[in-house]
Amino acid sequence: MSKHISAFDTGNLRKTVLDMAFAGSTVHIGCAFSIIELLAVLYRQHLRYPDNDPAAPDRDFLILSKGHGVMAQYACMRELGWLPEEAFSAYFADGSDLKGLSDSRIRGLEVTSGSLGHGLSVGVGMALGAKIKGTDQKTYVIVGDGEINEGPIWEGAMFAAHHQLENFMVIVDENGYQAMGPTKEVIGLGSIRAKFESFGFLAHTIDGHNEAEIDNAIHELWADPSRQPRALIARTVKGKGVSFMEHNNIWHYTRLTAETHTHAVAEVMGDRL
Amino acid sequence: MREAFSTALIQLAQQDPRVILLTGDHGYALFDEFRRVCPNQYINAGIAEQNMVGMAAGLARTGFRPVVYGLSAFIPVRVLEQIKLDVAHDRLPVIFIGDGAGFVYSHLGTSHQSTEDIACARAIPNLQIYSPADAFEMTMCMQAAYQAHASAYLRMGKSDRGLVHAAVPEASSGELLQLKQGKPGALSFIATGSMVRTAMDIASASYADASVWSAPFIKPAEIAQVAAICRNGGPLVTMEEHSIHGGLGSMIAEIASEHCPVRILRIGVKDRFSEHCGTYDYLLKEHGLDRTSIEKQLAEFLSRAA
Repeated sequence: MSKHISAFDTGNLRKTVLDMAFAGSTVHIGCAFSIIELLAVLYRQHLRYPDNDPAAPDRDFLILSKGHGVMAQYACMRELGWLPEEAFSAYFADGSDLKGLSDSRIRGLEVTSGSLGHGLSVGVGMALGAKIKGTDQKTYVIVGDGEINEGPIWEGAMFAAHHQLENFMVIVDENGYQAMGPTKEVIGLGSIRAKFESFGFLAHTIDGHNEAEIDNAIHELWADPSRQPRALIARTVKGKGVSFMEHNNIWHYTRLTAETHTHAVAEVMGDRL
Repeated sequence: MREAFSTALIQLAQQDPRVILLTGDHGYALFDEFRRVCPNQYINAGIAEQNMVGMAAGLARTGFRPVVYGLSAFIPVRVLEQIKLDVAHDRLPVIFIGDGAGFVYSHLGTSHQSTEDIACARAIPNLQIYSPADAFEMTMCMQAAYQAHASAYLRMGKSDRGLVHAAVPEASSGELLQLKQGKPGALSFIATGSMVRTAMDIASASYADASVWSAPFIKPAEIAQVAAICRNGGPLVTMEEHSIHGGLGSMIAEIASEHCPVRILRIGVKDRFSEHCGTYDYLLKEHGLDRTSIEKQLAEFLSRAA
């Protein structure tokens, strides 16, 4: 594996997503692109997988509760060597394993998600388990801003704060869109940060596409001596990286053609092609 | 039966520190002893059942053996999707206890009455279902559910209908337990939970030749055994404090229709909610589940013999 690939280059990750989506003639590109930098920083700089084992008992836990963005996670897992190459070229082929939503039977994916509002509670349980056992494992749960319409998100938030799960971090992918339109037109969320703070979280807001900012914020959140659970509110762009996809919710549902695939790959790879 | 549950739970928690009890702010007096003996294995997750089940999945994934307690109107019905997706999908070893099943909360109305829980749970792959009839079956079911290391739903209904066993039965998973021997070609009663005692009473009083079986294991079912009972030649009557759709009666009828069709009378809740409130015995009568109503239905069924 070349150094270039193992660095979780975000252009390369986006190309993997585009190639998968084109091969499988599938959707959900926009919501995968909004979390590319978040995942790259987590996998490269924060998540601990001893011996590069996705099932290591003492690993950190990453839960992609917004399972619709799973292609971004597949792209990172490819760089870790956790998935065979044919899984990508044959995405969505009959009898294949990688689904359009996160499935816990794939090593490296902790939960089966896509029905929204589940992953945060599972993550709270994992953080609670780690705390009871006295390990230093961290749990990260990535939720979508649309997803936080779901009630169990707030049930879990209350529990995490009450039980002082300082080993737990929720990362909100605030791309401003949900399936049918802008969040502010569907269920206005107001200040997501203020909501989590009022639930007892220590919260930071960052540009979710600025890798240095993401890295610093995660370090700062963990470094704080408070016993609160952590919340990282990442302001992101749905479809980030491809001009005709950015802020265009149609890419929640649209399939790539040979032409749009070529154009999109050219944009994400720039002069590296 | 509730005491047997509490005792079994405390035993499991004492012998295995991975056992953690989660309750959705229910079980006030029931857990007094557990909290005294195992205070560090008790979590009140608050009035937030969906989160509680998701957390139980997370705890199971980190090596714990969660026991999730709630009223059966909420556990499993309210949290069915969490059970399906977060727990059963990966066969996580979580035991769900649904208390107050059937019409236990007879005065509280539809929200607290639970007659569709078995049907909901049966359709979920990998999920075992237990429905004990008395304190002895409860002890057996708790041990079996723990040893199975599987996702399991244990239904706890009306708990003071009297014993049907003299000791903790020894049975393999799925087995129907014979309480009364019958004659070839005679009627067979198959009942579960609170209705087993009633089945015994009716059979002992009026059907001397009939056999009586208790079904503490709803899923997985011992298909060969059910088929053998069908081959006995007589009609069957199933009895449950649950809807006639999707519960024990459905399960028996499904197996019979494939292996050895016989006439089956399904005694249960006939696709309706309670109209009125009253004592437990009043509600049984409203739904035709009291002894007199059942005897009448049974006599009519037998008089319509094929």
